[in-house]
Amino acid sequence: MAPPASKKRKTDHVSSGDEDDEASFASFASDESGDQANDEVNGTRAEEMDVDERFGSGDEDEDDEEDESTEDQERGQTKAGAEKKDKSASKPTRPAKTSQPSISALANGSFKSNVFKLQVDELLGQIRPRHGKRETDAESALHTIKKSIEQIPPRGPFTIADAERDLIRDKVAIPFPNPRPPKDAKYKFAYAKPANVNVIGSYALKTASRSKEFLEIDMVVTMPGSLFEGKDYLNHRYFYKRAYYLACIAAGLKTSVGKEHCLRFKLFHDNPLKPVLVVRPIQKNLDETSEVPTPKWRINIIPCVAENQFPAEKLRPDRNCVRSQQHQDDGQSPTPFYNSSLRSEMLMTSYLKLLHGASKACESFVDACLLGATWLRQRGFQSSMDCGGFGSFEWNALMALCLQGGGPSGKPLLSEGYSSYQLFKATLQLLAVKDFTKQPLVFGEGNSGPKTTDSGVPIIWDAVRNHNLFFEVTPWAYKLLRQEARTTITALGDQVHDSFDSTFILRVLEPLYRYDCLLEIPAKSLSMQTGPRERLVQLYQVLRQGLGDRVSQINILRQPLDEWALGSSQPLAGAKGSITVGLMVNGDTARRTVDHGPSAENKAETAEFRKFWGEKAELRRFKDGSILESLVWSPPESGMSVLEQVIRYVLGHHFGLVTVDDITFFGGDFTKLLRGGSDRAGFEPFMAQYKKFENDIRDLHDLPLSIRHIMPADPQLRFASIKVPNHGKLAQKPVPADVTIQFEGSSRWPDDLVAIQRTKIAFLLKVNDLLQDTVDNVTTRIGLENEGQDVLNQAYLDVTYDSDATFRLRIYHDREQVLFERKLKDKTADPKSREIAATGLAKYKRDFVKNPARTQAIARLCTRYAALSGSIRLMKKWFASHLLSNHIADEVTELLVVRTFTQPWPWQVPSSVQTGFLRTLSWISRWDWRVDPLIVDLSASGELKQPQVQAITTNFEAWRKLDPAMNRVALFAASNVDFDGTTWTDGVPAKVVAGRMSALAKAACAEVSEKLLLLEPGALFSSPLEDFDLVLHLNPIFTGGKARKSMGNGSAFKNLELEALTDTDMIGHEPVRNFLNELEVLYGAALLLFYGGTERPVITGLWSPLTARRSWKVNLSYSTIPVKGKGEDGDVLADLNKDAILAEIARLGGDLVEKIEVHKH
Amino acid sequence: MAPITAAKVPSTVHEFLVLPLRIPAQPSFPKETTHYLYLRANAPKVPTENTPREVFAVNVPIDATELHIRSLFANQLGGARIDSVAFEGARVGKGISAPVAPVKQGKKRKRGIEGNDEDATVEEVGLLPEVWDRELHRSGGTAVITFVDKPSADLALKEARRAIKNKADISWGQGLRNKIPPLGSARYLTHHKMRYPDHSELQASVDAFMEAFAAQEEARTKMLARQRAEPDEDGFITVTRGGRVGPAREEAAKAKEEELKKREKDRIKADFYRFQVREKKKEEAKDLVRAFEEDQRKVEEMKKRRGRIRPE
Repeated sequence: MAPPASKKRKTDHVSSGDEDDEASFASFASDESGDQANDEVNGTRAEEMDVDERFGSGDEDEDDEEDESTEDQERGQTKAGAEKKDKSASKPTRPAKTSQPSISALANGSFKSNVFKLQVDELLGQIRPRHGKRETDAESALHTIKKSIEQIPPRGPFTIADAERDLIRDKVAIPFPNPRPPKDAKYKFAYAKPANVNVIGSYALKTASRSKEFLEIDMVVTMPGSLFEGKDYLNHRYFYKRAYYLACIAAGLKTSVGKEHCLRFKLFHDNPLKPVLVVRPIQKNLDETSEVPTPKWRINIIPCVAENQFPAEKLRPDRNCVRSQQHQDDGQSPTPFYNSSLRSEMLMTSYLKLLHGASKACESFVDACLLGATWLRQRGFQSSMDCGGFGSFEWNALMALCLQGGGPSGKPLLSEGYSSYQLFKATLQLLAVKDFTKQPLVFGEGNSGPKTTDSGVPIIWDAVRNHNLFFEVTPWAYKLLRQEARTTITALGDQVHDSFDSTFILRVLEPLYRYDCLLEIPAKSLSMQTGPRERLVQLYQVLRQGLGDRVSQINILRQPLDEWALGSSQPLAGAKGSITVGLMVNGDTARRTVDHGPSAENKAETAEFRKFWGEKAELRRFKDGSILESLVWSPPESGMSVLEQVIRYVLGHHFGLVTVDDITFFGGDFTKLLRGGSDRAGFEPFMAQYKKFENDIRDLHDLPLSIRHIMPADPQLRFASIKVPNHGKLAQKPVPADVTIQFEGSSRWPDDLVAIQRTKIAFLLKVNDLLQDTVDNVTTRIGLENEGQDVLNQAYLDVTYDSDATFRLRIYHDREQVLFERKLKDKTADPKSREIAATGLAKYKRDFVKNPARTQAIARLCTRYAALSGSIRLMKKWFASHLLSNHIADEVTELLVVRTFTQPWPWQVPSSVQTGFLRTLSWISRWDWRVDPLIVDLSASGELKQPQVQAITTNFEAWRKLDPAMNRVALFAASNVDFDGTTWTDGVPAKVVAGRMSALAKAACAEVSEKLLLLEPGALFSSPLEDFDLVLHLNPIFTGGKARKSMGNGSAFKNLELEALTDTDMIGHEPVRNFLNELEVLYGAALLLFYGGTERPVITGLWSPLTARRSWKVNLSYSTIPVKGKGEDGDVLADLNKDAILAEIARLGGDLVEKIEVHKH
Repeated sequence: MAPITAAKVPSTVHEFLVLPLRIPAQPSFPKETTHYLYLRANAPKVPTENTPREVFAVNVPIDATELHIRSLFANQLGGARIDSVAFEGARVGKGISAPVAPVKQGKKRKRGIEGNDEDATVEEVGLLPEVWDRELHRSGGTAVITFVDKPSADLALKEARRAIKNKADISWGQGLRNKIPPLGSARYLTHHKMRYPDHSELQASVDAFMEAFAAQEEARTKMLARQRAEPDEDGFITVTRGGRVGPAREEAAKAKEEELKKREKDRIKADFYRFQVREKKKEEAKDLVRAFEEDQRKVEEMKKRRGRIRPE
């Protein structure tokens, strides 16, 4: 490649393109001589295409097929684009040189960071519209369509009956809006040559993101004013005539271009008043498409009228324009939606001019539009009313208006000198901060805007054009939009973590990740025929009132209406499809079982309350003496969550949705997977027991040294163990919970590691004796550990209360660290003892320094976030169910889940266990642990600062440099209490296991996205055992948990069982865990073992690929079979003796193993 | 895996005899299997006086005990008598090493350590209670079998050779069922019980250890004091720890040096001279450029990894 030359050419190309663009734009917007305009357009397009072809980029319509070279080219193009901009830069704020700009950009704050800016540039390069084949195709079609529209002969004037009859002959049904015009309508319908045909919208403005599935081109046909009368703005008359006009165009186009193109009717933005005509290429046969894919474009033909056709004053939102037959007086309620729908028809061209003006005046306007469009798309907002009514048009127009005014005393809210990122962020900020339903935003002077109503419709009053820009925005979508804007603003303010992905890349709209709870209601049962919009508003109001503060967001999604054929009538809204309601719950209040209503003395409110709740409302007297209307729901243990009860009752009462089939409810099923409830409350008795234990220890007065700290260091003591400890009395043996104790410093400790460990035993013996003397109902024992490693902790004290809670006390002595470190630095020591010192130090830090610190941090987080405890436990269960719990340490799992809570972007902090779990899964599935460290702020209050993150990243990079093959450290998980990042991931999991974790998470996420509401939560927790080479089925007697009870011949062991349960001697006896540990030590080199604790009664294994046949030698670390080699020299080879190993495992396991199953792969 | 027939298995490999052991079927793995034990006369790099009567075994089954080996040779391979068996990686002295003279953790030293008397006392008195009733050995491990005399060792190897030639049926663990502690859950239960020793026993062990440790420490201090006071045979006084002015630690000296340097630097404030300010600014600009280049590289890498950046 010869970059300089080609770059120069590209530069020319781009800049010339822009100049042409300007020319074409002006002509497009001009009112007269549309013909000429189009010719010019096509002329310039052709020219551009030539250029494109010269560089070989003109033939791409499928982005996925693009190869490396195009990418290069593209980079060149964007670079060239930047250079070009620099040349033409007139404002001093614009960057000056190619390599310098970002620095200055960062310095003056116009971008968040360099990485962010570079990513935004890259993104813009990817989504900027390009001129490819589909554009060429679409444009030639535009040209033909325009010609044919102009050749359609005039019709009429007809009466309504004649008009319909006339068009039936052409097999076109007039798409009249509901209600249909009266049969005896006096006015006449006619068609005449359009005053103007023009292309508007994102295509003309070059703000259409390339990532859209279809290329959509909006083409407006301005109806001549002669067709209308002065009063046509009343009573739908304009819309009837418009429908007739559209039908005439359809009929005309059907004869001219109907062969090559497919013509259908559609509702513009799902606005029932505004049908449009969609033209798209006919789908070719399947075998043909395989060779030439059908160009993906569609043209919307939108009839409209001139801006001055009807008086703007009459169409203000506070006026009534649909007079009912009964009373003709002026006191009728206003019809804002109707008025604005009509007004928007008149303003099509005006807004085009506004946007065009903005893009000329402000250089980064187009880029900011693209960013906005991407942001909206990822969050499921579109101009279409079923998707919220806030789409890229509204975004662009809002920005354009803000560039002109809106501020105090009419000053612009945005400056033209802003960068695209600043424009984007400022617009978001505006949406986030201001509530337009309460305080309308007014642009321009003159007459003041309309008053706000309590309907929840936001008002952006464009005084120049006398129009509410947000008239199509639904109340629920507006609320959600504001929340999303707030979330993104917070995410962008995060100085430590890059928020680019969460802002622009992630699909936020995936319902199961976004909402805590989903309902699906068949549209049929809502009887939406009469007024679909009104009915949805009613649904929203009822849910909002019924759920109150239990939910923070209610979003209603409707499947978009289909297009329909020219000859058939418009399909009835709500005849098919379903309505999905997404709820974001408020974790603190969602489970409240008693609701308080108004006081009995307040008659008016009581009546209203009774009316809303029907027979559910009860009058109750409360402890404080007040007598209130109230609602009582049954506790969630009854099988249905309170939320579900409320929803079912309210919808049944107001919409007659009584049967279970009427509503599909999803949410809360995940929590049922957790035994003992997802609540933190289950841990409280155990925590109380711990407090008692701590006090008991502190009350020991005769200790030789005073106590400095007693710190818990166990998942059970941070609300994070899969099983709730001490749940259901004697259902299970208590699992000892680790606790560390630190004494005040003393010079009498020996200065030798081995002797320190012995001294600790002496201390424990002393504590033991004192406890026995002072505390009742307590059993204490001293146990030994780390046998054979005399520098490590040798003993612990088990303290058992009433045989239902056991605490395992270890002594923390801070001198050990120094001694280990000294040994590590000692150059005269032999490598072996240094290795022992290294592992000893790591273990010491883990057990005595980091574990207590994180236990404290996580316990605090669990009290702060209600859903965290449940999410952690569910996530642990997930890892255990997939037999990964002996690889992924509990602590790593906790970090993963906490990440979802402290860096929740692009969502808010999860308020239910379900979203906490699913979002964590989704993050794991995308986590590229090869290159990204996991860094979590456990303080959740910004204690983790940039320099610390920098230190952690440096650590991570050092590890990757040291061990690029990731044989030792695959996952790297650090937090603000642990900068090392390898505390729990040194050695385990192996790379292959980490890969399996990612693969399992990906599979689970695919399942979630595919099944949606039909998702069976249990399905995410199972994986086939066939993936493994061997499966050891364990004897259920020893695995504990449920399996024991389900044993058929349980009675034979009943007495043993009871004995085992009541006997405190058996606490901490885990034969399977011992067995697994021994297997790992004995066969670590040959076999990778998987175990999931009590979740699955199996141990599975994979043979290491390193055990393949090789030449025989003495020091192989696995059992072998000698095999004669094929070569003449008779080299003896060694095979892994799998059968002998399995036989050894069978001998070792004895009665622990029921069956060994071998899978041949 | 294709079944390995006996014909394919060589009778020797390098200098090792390949002795097939028949492993009886187990309830959980009902298949009779063959384990291969490799034997040869021991030939360490540094022979000791015992070397002639030693046999070196490779690929010892994980559950082998001394009794297993004894019975294997006594009952099935000609009746050679064994003095002792040292397994690879067996814990020497159960991890109790004397605080001063570190015990070499070499293999083959399980039995009969002949250290000096002081060591021996510390080790013996300081032992913590045993927590396993039966040791295991890592898969593919080795062992040194010491026979009572050289003829026994020779006999054992000869018998093994003959058994291989005759394809004799040698079964592992024959007739030992009740003579050794059982495996499986019983073993773990015993382990669990042994982990919680009697408190008085524990106290006694700790007391003994601490007493020995204190004595040893004292002896060491005395020795050091002596070394400090008396020149050695070449007339030098050994520099030892614990004197009135201990030898300076290297780290401490370095730390002090750093501190001094820093103090020197702090004396002149960083923004006193104009050139300092100028250089600082230059440095900052350079940092920015470096950070920018770093970021650019990062994004490039990200692109390479994930493909183009585009919304999902």
